[in-house]
Amino acid sequence: MRLTNIRVVGVHKAFRKRGKEVNALSDVSLRIGDRESFGILGPSGAGKTTLMRIIAGLEVPTRGDLYFDDELVSSEGRIIVPPQERNIGMVFQTWALYPNMSAYENIAFPLKNAKQKPSEIARKVEEVAETLEITHILDRRPSEISGGQQQRVALARALVKNPSVLLLDEPFSNLDAKVRDSARALVRKIQRDLQITTILVSHDPADIFANAERVGVIFDGKLVQVGSPSEVYSTPVSLGVARLIGDINDFEGEVAGSALSYGGFTIPLERSMNGKVRVGIRPENLRVAQGLIQDEDWLLMGKAVVQVSSYMGGVYKILVASSDHRDAVLSLISERPYQISEEVNVYVRKHGVMVFD
Amino acid sequence: MRSISRRKPRAHLAGSAVKYLVINIIAILWLIPVYSMIINGFKSDLAVTSTPVLVPPRTPTAGPYLAVVGPLARPILNSLIVAVSGSVIATILGTMGAYFFYSLSTSWRRTLTVLSDAVFAIIAMGTFIPYQSTIIPLTRLIVSLNGLDTFSGLIIAMLVFYVPTAALLMSIFLAVIPRSVVEAARIDSASELKILFRVVLPLAFPGFISTLIFVLIQTWNNFFIPLVLTTTPNMRLVPVAVQAYTGGYGTLYNESFAVAVLGSLVPLVIFIFLGRYFIRGLMALGAGKGV
Amino acid sequence: MTSHRRKTNRWLRRSIPSYLVLSTPTILFSALLLYVVGWNFYLSFTNWSLLNPKIGFAGLTSYVQVVHQSYFINSLIHSSVLAVVLVAVGNGLGILLAGLLFFINSSRLRTVYLSIIIYPLAISMAINSVVWLWLYNYRLGVNWILTRVGLPAVPWLFSRSLAFPSIMIITIWAYTGLATLFYLASYINMDKSVIEAAMIDRAGPLKILRSILVPNSLNSFIVSTALLLIFSLRIFTVPYVVSGGPTNTLLQTLVVYMYYLFTTEYFSQSAAVASIITLIAVAIVIPYALIGIRRWIRT
Repeated sequence: MRLTNIRVVGVHKAFRKRGKEVNALSDVSLRIGDRESFGILGPSGAGKTTLMRIIAGLEVPTRGDLYFDDELVSSEGRIIVPPQERNIGMVFQTWALYPNMSAYENIAFPLKNAKQKPSEIARKVEEVAETLEITHILDRRPSEISGGQQQRVALARALVKNPSVLLLDEPFSNLDAKVRDSARALVRKIQRDLQITTILVSHDPADIFANAERVGVIFDGKLVQVGSPSEVYSTPVSLGVARLIGDINDFEGEVAGSALSYGGFTIPLERSMNGKVRVGIRPENLRVAQGLIQDEDWLLMGKAVVQVSSYMGGVYKILVASSDHRDAVLSLISERPYQISEEVNVYVRKHGVMVFD
Repeated sequence: MRSISRRKPRAHLAGSAVKYLVINIIAILWLIPVYSMIINGFKSDLAVTSTPVLVPPRTPTAGPYLAVVGPLARPILNSLIVAVSGSVIATILGTMGAYFFYSLSTSWRRTLTVLSDAVFAIIAMGTFIPYQSTIIPLTRLIVSLNGLDTFSGLIIAMLVFYVPTAALLMSIFLAVIPRSVVEAARIDSASELKILFRVVLPLAFPGFISTLIFVLIQTWNNFFIPLVLTTTPNMRLVPVAVQAYTGGYGTLYNESFAVAVLGSLVPLVIFIFLGRYFIRGLMALGAGKGV
Repeated sequence: MTSHRRKTNRWLRRSIPSYLVLSTPTILFSALLLYVVGWNFYLSFTNWSLLNPKIGFAGLTSYVQVVHQSYFINSLIHSSVLAVVLVAVGNGLGILLAGLLFFINSSRLRTVYLSIIIYPLAISMAINSVVWLWLYNYRLGVNWILTRVGLPAVPWLFSRSLAFPSIMIITIWAYTGLATLFYLASYINMDKSVIEAAMIDRAGPLKILRSILVPNSLNSFIVSTALLLIFSLRIFTVPYVVSGGPTNTLLQTLVVYMYYLFTTEYFSQSAAVASIITLIAVAIVIPYALIGIRRWIRT
């Protein structure tokens, strides 16, 4: 049974914390389409897990409605269709595997509750175990397998009942960094093969880039931007969003006409304005050179002095300060090392400057 | 495409109603004895032997209660003195002992660990004896200390039983304290006493309160020790005074109930108001260690 | 090697006064307790009784005499049955009641109901017994309700087969609260998301209780069973007060019988029974509780 759409309409969620009312979500509305892979990105505590839990039916919205395929499942102050009946599969941040059962029994659990025949159950469990490559650990308990394997068991358990929608709550944050990439690839593969609607919640933009077709950004309980990950990355609606989805240099600059000045740096802008603005430039949109770069894609900003240079995984992270104003610093990535106190020219990519009022 | 919600929304609600029905029935069943205890104290002499126990009095009278308040006043005072001081002292001393065993059992010296575990086990076994069998040596001991019919005699007798009990209970609560905190304090050259009172006790405070409440209720309700160690009516504790009102000919049953209620007031009040700390302490115990 | 010893000595020197202060009171009172226990133990090896006013060593005579008495066996059976029933019903009810309480959403309400189930332990067992004595009154007690709904009146304390079960009901009423408390603590301690995952997996409350909550409450089972066993062996006040004395053989438990022997001045035999009780308690409970507590502490 496929869901063709999920609609969140004007959802508010307020909690009472020590007598004060805290707004976890304010007026969130969005629409998730058939077989779409939707990401929810936001800093910790922003309300993204709350939103997912409301979609799952584990929390009740204070105001607003939730529709699965135009059927009202949650409304103001009440859960009309409980989580048991929503046919969702969910992978929790801690995976929430049943500690007293083997991996096989964990995966079989939802099928047993649906009173399916043992032979059917066995077939389905083995099938999903094969897809996720966990057949060899089916007889082990959660405490006996690694984090990556636990996650795959949790995925298997969520998928085995052929759910209408798959919910993933920070599915990769509990994994070792090394395992994360393969885990993301696995989820991508499953999304592709099973063509299942997926909602993924994360604070890590890497998860969003890897697994989401569209992303909704939540800040302080409000949905501030929805779009494809690359859209949000290159045209963020605010500096906060820009910072959330990737590294960025942000600073305050002074504009006079169409020239933005920051310390000793001057950046030509597309349009003219006046006054103070907040500016964001991604590190990959900056370059330094000892000489001059003859490339019309790169605009000269000014001279700078190298302050810090560190090696990180194949590239160098460099911090430079404007020669005339040592307070104005920029962080960028370079393929070759530079010496501290070395003087360089700093270039910015055309169209690589984000200006926010 | 079948609609999801058509299946059984009713069942969900029904589950909820059944749950409250059952727990309320259980609660009523559990409350029947205390309910009976209270209402029968308000019945007249005639009513208490002719009306059913579960039926409230048609014309309630405070007579029985008024009649027993006087005679119970002194025992209640005595019990307060003995139970409160006894339990406070027992819990503090027990905590000290528990901490002693706790720090020994973490010693890197293997013999000390084994020794402390063994001694601990022996003490635990000592608390298993039915204390009714200890009348003779206990009385002899207290008499030899000139403690018969004295507060100190009663308190010491209580301590003999409840210091080890408190030590046992507190040792369980201490076990869930992270050792690293204690080790850090040791490295900071604090004396063991200081570690106990400044570092460990604040951490184990819910457990301390739980043990204190437990021992307090036990010492208040203890019937045997005051029975054996007090001979003058002046020094009687509440349980013994209550017992004097029950059984035998000419017993005024409504007064028995009134006495029962008044005699239980202190521990019940403690339980009602402080009980949640007791429960919280035990919950923290459960929360410290999972499966 | 020498610096190690020097450090040890310094540590010892610094800690000894503290350790003395810490340990002395407990050691003192525990020693008194053990003295009292030991005295009892010693007494059981004598033959002091009404017939033998002089205390003389008698080896195992008292034990042998006691064990052969039919009333001892009677009380042993009673205590054993009580132990089994209290453990089985106490745990069973505890699991179910804790399950009920677990699914109540308001924690305040939960505490209220839990307090209602535990409050019997706050009241002196002597008082509880008197109240239950009245509740078991043939004419005026609970029989009154039973007859009103058309059921026959139950001869609670008079019938051979119902007398001791009546006592067992009282102990179940009093001690189930403990088991409930420990199981509830264990359920609440479970990772909430596991319960939520089970809900999403379509498990109803009973299924969650059976498949997830209970199997993960082994610690509570151990503690609860140990405590119920200990308490069942010590039951004295309830049968004593309900019978009005230690002589009702229908209601005698081991401790009551022990006291009976005491009141009839068979001191050594009484001490023997006390020792037997203590040894049974030790034999059953210690390995049990130690394993349980060790498991708990070492994890």
